[in-house]
Amino acid sequence: MASKNIQLPELGEGVTEGELVSWLVKPGDKIEPDQAIAEMMTDKATVEVPSPSAGVVKELKFKEGEVVEVGQVMIVIDTDGATAAAAAPAAKASAPAKTSAPPPATMHAAVAQQPATASAPANRNQPSANGMEVYPPPAGAKVLATPATRRLAREMNVDINQVHGSGVAGRVTRDDIAGGNGAGATSAGTPVIARGQIPRPAYNGPTGAAEERVPLKGIRKKIAENMQLYKQIIPHFTLADEANVTSLVAMREELKASGVKITYLPFVMKALIATMREFPQFNASIDDAAQEIVYKKYFNLGFAADTPNGLLVPVIKNADQKTTNQLSQEITELATKARDGKLALDEMKGATITVTNIGSVGGTYATPIINHPEVAILGMYKIVDKPVIKNGELDVIKSMNFTITADHRLIDGAVAARFMKSFIAKIENPGALMLEMM
Amino acid sequence: MAQNFDVCVVGAGPGGYVAAIRSAQQGLKTCIIEREYMGGVCLNVGCIPSKAMISAGHFLHRLEHDAKEMGFNIKGEVSVDMKQMQKWKQSVCDRMAGGVEQLLKGNTVTIIRGEATFKSATELTVKGKDGTDTVTAKNFIVATGSRPIQIPGFEFDEKTVMSSTGGLALSDAPKSLIVIGGGYIGLEIGSMLAKFGTKVTVVEAAKGLLVGLADPEAVQVVARRLKKNGVEVITEAKAKSYKKSGNGVEVTVDVQGKEQVLKAEKILVTVGRKPNSDQMNLKGVGLQIDERGFIKVNAQRRTNLPNIFAIGDIAGQPMLAHKASHEGVLVAEVIAGKNRVYDAKTVPAVIFVDPEIASAGMTEDEAKAAGYKELKIGKFPFAANGRAVSIMETDGFVKVIADAKTHVVLGVHIVGPEASNLISEAVLAIEMGARIEDLALTIHPHPTLGETMMEAAEAALGHAIHIIQKPLTAKKTPEVQR
Repeated sequence: MASKNIQLPELGEGVTEGELVSWLVKPGDKIEPDQAIAEMMTDKATVEVPSPSAGVVKELKFKEGEVVEVGQVMIVIDTDGATAAAAAPAAKASAPAKTSAPPPATMHAAVAQQPATASAPANRNQPSANGMEVYPPPAGAKVLATPATRRLAREMNVDINQVHGSGVAGRVTRDDIAGGNGAGATSAGTPVIARGQIPRPAYNGPTGAAEERVPLKGIRKKIAENMQLYKQIIPHFTLADEANVTSLVAMREELKASGVKITYLPFVMKALIATMREFPQFNASIDDAAQEIVYKKYFNLGFAADTPNGLLVPVIKNADQKTTNQLSQEITELATKARDGKLALDEMKGATITVTNIGSVGGTYATPIINHPEVAILGMYKIVDKPVIKNGELDVIKSMNFTITADHRLIDGAVAARFMKSFIAKIENPGALMLEMM
Repeated sequence: MAQNFDVCVVGAGPGGYVAAIRSAQQGLKTCIIEREYMGGVCLNVGCIPSKAMISAGHFLHRLEHDAKEMGFNIKGEVSVDMKQMQKWKQSVCDRMAGGVEQLLKGNTVTIIRGEATFKSATELTVKGKDGTDTVTAKNFIVATGSRPIQIPGFEFDEKTVMSSTGGLALSDAPKSLIVIGGGYIGLEIGSMLAKFGTKVTVVEAAKGLLVGLADPEAVQVVARRLKKNGVEVITEAKAKSYKKSGNGVEVTVDVQGKEQVLKAEKILVTVGRKPNSDQMNLKGVGLQIDERGFIKVNAQRRTNLPNIFAIGDIAGQPMLAHKASHEGVLVAEVIAGKNRVYDAKTVPAVIFVDPEIASAGMTEDEAKAAGYKELKIGKFPFAANGRAVSIMETDGFVKVIADAKTHVVLGVHIVGPEASNLISEAVLAIEMGARIEDLALTIHPHPTLGETMMEAAEAALGHAIHIIQKPLTAKKTPEVQR
């Protein structure tokens, strides 16, 4: 009986783990190379994991809803049933599947999977070619962590010397290793926030009450975790104002009459980019680990999309270099993909600021949550007819509300007010805005 | 007939037998080769017999000094039957060594008796009583330990010139003894024999006793007690040669450049131990050995030959049994495929002199050298501890050293009663990264010696209860108006 362990392959840059949404095979199933065996949820995208080889499924190593790390054995197949020719070249897998041996430091599940029984492997944990180094390196004298935590880090292949401890006096806690960001704690740019710091109260409803319990999993779980994390890291504040968008509405009507279908979002994006050029702190991030502010010279605009699966945020890359019409087309494309669950992971990454258009559904104002590591989110709301007194006469204008929610660590209230004033001046005067457009 | 194993351990001392048991526990086919005795030096001629003899000496000392004050009237002198004492000591050793053999057998470890020599990196020959055998294995663990250093001109005969082995096997206490080397082994055996009536003179090359081995303040306490017990200490002195004269010896000693002749019945040479790396054809199969004779190993105790590991005294300092055992477990798990590494923060050290010295972590000097600019140091004397007073053992103190910035405990040094048993709490504190508050806020049972640890931590924070630390700076309580 030749059996083969199939590991979770690399799912994309910076992705270290994924949540198993569902199995697409069951023990006893015959599988072909490249056949999808499971649906994994990473970051915000759900991807299908292909099998690199043919065989018969022997054992599933995880339950749906569990988190699987890249490199962990997901499934064991019996390869005897399949013809030798059926073994697929790894490169054919749509995600770059990794068929080589796991990293020298074995992880949790891999150890459980391969206990050294009667016959001992002669060369496990083989020292590296350049001598007798061990990975991860031993904890240095100044690392403050219990022996059990040091061992956990080793078993999870985390170099504990690189982890910023969240505990008293810089103590590296179990949660710093196994919590929120897991092994990713050491990868650059990922904030190390201990999941254990967030209380996890139980909810017990009244006995016999009409309630239904469903698992918190998939995209909903990811949204829950992210929102909690972002709200914890960033001290938010929101400033609201209204704009007279009569001219903008008139312009759009003209375009519509001439056959161009366009929403307000691309115009808002253009006004936003122009305003961010004046206020670069809105197109920035705080690197907490390095204690530095990062100003970005590129403009990637995320926009919140309501989908049947929940909130997704597709990103338009280098939006400043695109025409209003190009923006409009890209928005339509990405929104369609989002609705159909076809967004690639890459299409949801790298935003430098986000726009939420909740007004298309309803509400006069909202207080959105900033998509960390961004530092601001612009809210746009529905357009209403509003009476105003102008030159002593009653007039009716098109009015639209906007909110800017900012990271108060970086952005002062007065700065946000000036930002909003400048933004409104642009959105109220689309003619002038044209001057700034590409 | 060649036998084949997953793991072959050479040496059944506290490193080797532990490694063998843990290997077998993980389902690996394991053997252990031992040329002399189960349990090694530790159980047979080291830790265990010396502690038996030291306990006996301590017992006698208390009968002679403390009993009367407590209300015991002992008629006549307490006579010592050293032959019976040796029998008793041997029964202690046999019991422990027998236990090791049972544990090995119970875990299905194959015991092979004989002298092992590497033929190649994957094969050993074992010369036993009944001929030569060949053992092949996927992995080898070398745990062959160390032996006492012999200095030229003082070759061991274990009668007149003794190593620690002979010093622990005396069936009569000599009238006088010259101890060459004031390290921990010499002082342990020397002060033990002093209690049985031997006139002991310690000849030490360094400027003081236990240099670099213990907290200097703790050494002072021991030095005072040695003097009180009649042990003479000559520092900055080197033994040059000896000759027999009558029933004893004359030792020529160079004391700060001047020659001096010391007379005694016997000589004990305890100038240290050296690793047994010149044996087993270790170099012959290509193992790298450093200039001090230790086999070079990495953090997993793997040598330059990937299937050979080395643990214990032969794999580097500190040469202590408990370090060897820790490495034994570590290596067995590495061989079983687990990612393990030696990353203990501290190896505790215990010196069974009178009173005992025990330490974990850094001394003040070491902490400063490691870059801790400001330290918080708390000291609490056993004289202020109820239990210490009730057992009439009030000499000594507990000293806690912490980083002033973070309050993280860096070192603990104890000199006093049961220091050996008290130090484990400090080791745990250091491994857990405890702060002094953690020690201070842990409820310690009363009345016990362990309370001193809590009080020393409180003292480091500036407010121990049972000693007056400094003039009260608090507001004066207003006097009651009459």
